[in-house]
Amino acid sequence: MTGSALIPVTVLTGFLGSGKTTVMNHLLRQPGMDGVVAIINEFGEVGLDHLLVETSEERFALLDNGCVCCSVREDLVTLLDELSARQAGRAVPPIRRILIETTGLADPVPVLHTLMTAPSVVSRYRIDGVVVTVDAVNALRSLDNHAEAVKQIAVADRILLTKTDLAEAASVAELERRIGAINPTVSVMRVNHGCVEPGAVLEAGLFTPDARSGQVASWFAAAAAAIAAQEHASHHQHHHAHGSDVSSFSLIVNEPIQWAAFSRWLDYVAALKGDDLLRFKGLINVADRPQGPVVVHAVQHVLHPPVTMEAWPSDDRSSRLVFIVRDIPAEAIERTLARFGEISRDSIVRPAA
Amino acid sequence: MSEIKTNADTLFRNGRIYTVDRSRPWVSCAAVKAGRFVAIGEESDVKAAVGLDTVVVDLGGRMAMPGIIDIHNHIMMGGQADLYELRFPSNHSISQIAAAVKQAAEKAAPGSWIVGGQFGSDLLVRLNTDDAAVELNAASLGHPVLLRDDSYHNRWASAEALRIAGVAADTQNPVDGEIGRDLRSGNLTGLMVEAASGIVERALAKAGHYTAEMDRAAVARSIGVLNSFGVTGFVDAASMQPILAALKGLDDRGVLSAWAVCAMPIVEPGFMFGTAGDELFALRDQFRSAHVRPDYAKMFLDGVPGAKTAAFHEPYIADPVRGCCFRGATMLTVPELIRWLGKCEKLGLGAKIHCAGDAAVTQALDAIEVVRSFNGPTNLIHHIAHASYIAPDDIKRFADLGVAADLSPIIWFPTVFLEAHKAAMGTERAERFWPNRDLNDVGVLMAGGSDWPVIPNPDPWHGIEGMVTRRNPAGDFPGASLWPEQALGLETVLEIYTINAARAAGLGKITGSIEVGKSADLIVLDQKLFDIPADQIAETNVEMTFFEGRKVYERRQ
Repeated sequence: MTGSALIPVTVLTGFLGSGKTTVMNHLLRQPGMDGVVAIINEFGEVGLDHLLVETSEERFALLDNGCVCCSVREDLVTLLDELSARQAGRAVPPIRRILIETTGLADPVPVLHTLMTAPSVVSRYRIDGVVVTVDAVNALRSLDNHAEAVKQIAVADRILLTKTDLAEAASVAELERRIGAINPTVSVMRVNHGCVEPGAVLEAGLFTPDARSGQVASWFAAAAAAIAAQEHASHHQHHHAHGSDVSSFSLIVNEPIQWAAFSRWLDYVAALKGDDLLRFKGLINVADRPQGPVVVHAVQHVLHPPVTMEAWPSDDRSSRLVFIVRDIPAEAIERTLARFGEISRDSIVRPAA
Repeated sequence: MSEIKTNADTLFRNGRIYTVDRSRPWVSCAAVKAGRFVAIGEESDVKAAVGLDTVVVDLGGRMAMPGIIDIHNHIMMGGQADLYELRFPSNHSISQIAAAVKQAAEKAAPGSWIVGGQFGSDLLVRLNTDDAAVELNAASLGHPVLLRDDSYHNRWASAEALRIAGVAADTQNPVDGEIGRDLRSGNLTGLMVEAASGIVERALAKAGHYTAEMDRAAVARSIGVLNSFGVTGFVDAASMQPILAALKGLDDRGVLSAWAVCAMPIVEPGFMFGTAGDELFALRDQFRSAHVRPDYAKMFLDGVPGAKTAAFHEPYIADPVRGCCFRGATMLTVPELIRWLGKCEKLGLGAKIHCAGDAAVTQALDAIEVVRSFNGPTNLIHHIAHASYIAPDDIKRFADLGVAADLSPIIWFPTVFLEAHKAAMGTERAERFWPNRDLNDVGVLMAGGSDWPVIPNPDPWHGIEGMVTRRNPAGDFPGASLWPEQALGLETVLEIYTINAARAAGLGKITGSIEVGKSADLIVLDQKLFDIPADQIAETNVEMTFFEGRKVYERRQ
C-alpha cells in the first residue's frame, strides 16, 4: 500500500512558551543530524552549516476534493515540493528526515492533513510522528482555556514534559493524569532545558513500512491497557477527560474484516464526525490478507495511507482499534462498525481491564 | 372597556364530520374561534361555545374532513405557467410552435421576453437545426424567446435570448450541458440541453422578467388551485429564493391560504436556478412567518426510471448506449449525503431526499442510519421522496429510522410512467412499484403528494382513489391494476393524506385532523366517501375549503 523510500516527517508542536524552540535548537545541534531539514514557522537563526532551515508562512488553502473542512497548508506543499526538486537536482545533500515546527497553540491538524493528503507530498514523505512539548508550569491552565491545547495532546504520539524542575511535584502528577485522560496511548517523557536524545523524538516509527509488527502490536496492547486503567480509575464505561469532552476507548474485533466494508464505514464516520475523531489507530486483520495485519491511522476525517505488515507477531489475530474522540459515544462506533463494516456484533468487544 | 368576545366565530353543524382523530372519528359539529377548533362533538358538546354573533354553517348532512396536505409539489410552476406563459401542447410541431410564438410576439411589449412551453422532448433533434432556428427567429419578431420542454430539462431559445444571455458562436458547452449547434453549419440553433438551460434561465431571471409581484400572483394562483381540491397545506419540494419571498409576501399581506412548508435545495436543481445550499439556508429566517416554514432541505440522489437515470440495485435492460449492466448512478455519494444530513440536523432542517430507484433508497437509508446512530433521537423527520421502488429489506428500515415515505407523484396505478418503466427494466420489476401496503404493515409514516406539475393536475382525489383501487381513476388502462396486493383501505389512505402528511411536514400538532386546539382547516365534500364504491372517489368535488376557519374556496354551482 505504500512504498518504502518515503522521507519521514516529524511534526513538533507545543504550547506557547513550552520550550519547543529550545528542544528544536538542542536537537539540531546534536551529532548525526546530517540530512535533517528543519522547517520552522518563525524566523530565528539556526546557524548550522550542515542543516537547511526553511521558513513557512501561515497560508491556508481549501483542498479541491469536495472536502471543505480539510484545510491544507499550501505553503508547506510548495516548500516540500521545492525540497524534492532541489534534491533531485543534487542542489542539496540527500534528505533523510524533515522536522517541522509549528507555531505555539496552533491547531496541528492542517499540517498533518497536508502530510496525509497532498498527492505530491504523500508520494515522497510520510508522517513519522507528532511530538508535543507541554510545559509543566502552565499547561493545566492552557488545557482549561484552549481547545487547541487539548487537541495537540489528543493527536500526539510523544509528549515532552518541560520545566518539570520548576513545577510542584503534585501539579506535575496532576498534569500527567490529565494528559493520560485525554490520550492514554501517548508516551510522556520529562525533559529539562531541551536536553533530549534525538532518537527519543525522531524515531517514533510506529507507522513506518519497516516497523516490526511486534512493536506495533505491543503499542496497541499498551494503549488498550492504558485506556482500561483509565476506565477502571474513573469507573466510567469509557473515559472522559476531566474538564473536556475528549474521551478515548479501544475495541477488539474477533473476526477478519472485509477491507472494502471497513473503509466504507470509516468514510461514513469521517463524513459525519470527522471533526470529532481526533485520532484513530487500528491494527486490522484484513480478510483476504491473512499473512499480516494492516495498520491504519486517521487524524480527524483524513486517513493516512494504510501500512501493511508482513507477519503477525503472535497467534492473536484479532483487530485492535483505538479512538480518541470528542463527544462520540463508543456505542455509536460499535453499532455502525457492525452494520456497515459487515462485522458480527458479537465479534466487537471492549478489552477487559 | 370593551367586552372580550368569548363566543365561537363559526359553528359547523349538521355534518358528517370525519375528524381523522382515531379516538373520535365522527362528529356532527365543530366550533371555531380565532382560527382554531374550540369545541367538537354533537350539538350538546358545542352549545356552550355558541353565541348570538356566531356564524352558523349548516353542512346539510354532507361529509366534511380535515384539509388535505400535499407532501410534495412545486408551488410556483403551475401558477406561473397559467398566468404568464405561452402554453401549447407537447405534441405541437415546430411550425405550430412558431405560429404560437408569432401570435404572442405580436402582442408583446417591445423587448419583453416570451416564455412558454412545453414542447415535446422528442423534438430535440429536429430543433437542433438551422431551419428550425430560422423559423423560431422569424416568429419571435426580435423578442427574446425561451421555451421549455416537457421534461423541464431542456430549452429552446431565440437568437435575441442567446444574445442577452451572452451565448456566442465560440461559447463553450457548460459541464453536463450542451449548447445546440447545427450539425452541418455549426451555427447556434438555440437548443440548450440540460445544464446549458441555466445560461438562458439565469439571463431571464436577471432581466427581471418575473417581478416579485408576478411571483406572488403565480403562487397565489397555484394555492387557489390547491384550495379548490381541498388542500390546505403543502411542502414545496424545491424552494428557491423567489418562491420563499412570494410565500412570505402573501403571508405578510394576510392572503396566504395554506400552510407552506419549504424544502430548500442543497444545490441548484436541474430545473431551477439561483442561490442554493448554505447561502439559501442562511436566509431562511428572513422568509419565516406564521404560515411559512422553511424547515426542510431538498437533495436529489438520482433521476427517474423512465430515462434510466434512477439508481437501481439490478441493471436496466441492455441497450446500445449503456450496454448490458447499467444500474444508474447517484448524484451524491453516501459520505456526501451523510455530511449534508449532519449539517441539516445541526441547523434543525429535515431532509427531503429524492430517491427514484431502490439503490438510491438504500443509500439514503444508510446515510440516515449513520446519522441516527451518532446523533441519537431527533424530532426532525427526513423524507424519502418518491418512495416507490424499495428493496424488501429496506421497507422496515423506514419505520426503524423514523423516515417518512413521501408518496408522490400520483402514479400508484397503471400510467404512461409505468409503461416507460417497463421498457426500461422489464414488466416484472417495473410492477414492483409502490409497496404501500408493505410500508403500512410495518408502521412507516406515509404521506401523500402530487409532485405537481410533474402530474399536470394536483387533484388528491385521484390519488386517494388510486391508493385504494390500484386502478387508473381516469379510466386510462381499463381493467389493468398495478400490484393490487398493495392496495390500502380508505381509512388508512385518508390518514396518509391528512394527519400523516401533516406529521411528516412538521405540522402534526397544528393541522391534519379535527381536534380542539388545531387549526380550523376543514373541507366539505359533495359525497360521503365511505358510502360510495371506491372507483367513484376521484369524482369527489370539494364544496368548500376553510383555512383557519376562513372560507378560502367555494364551488360555483
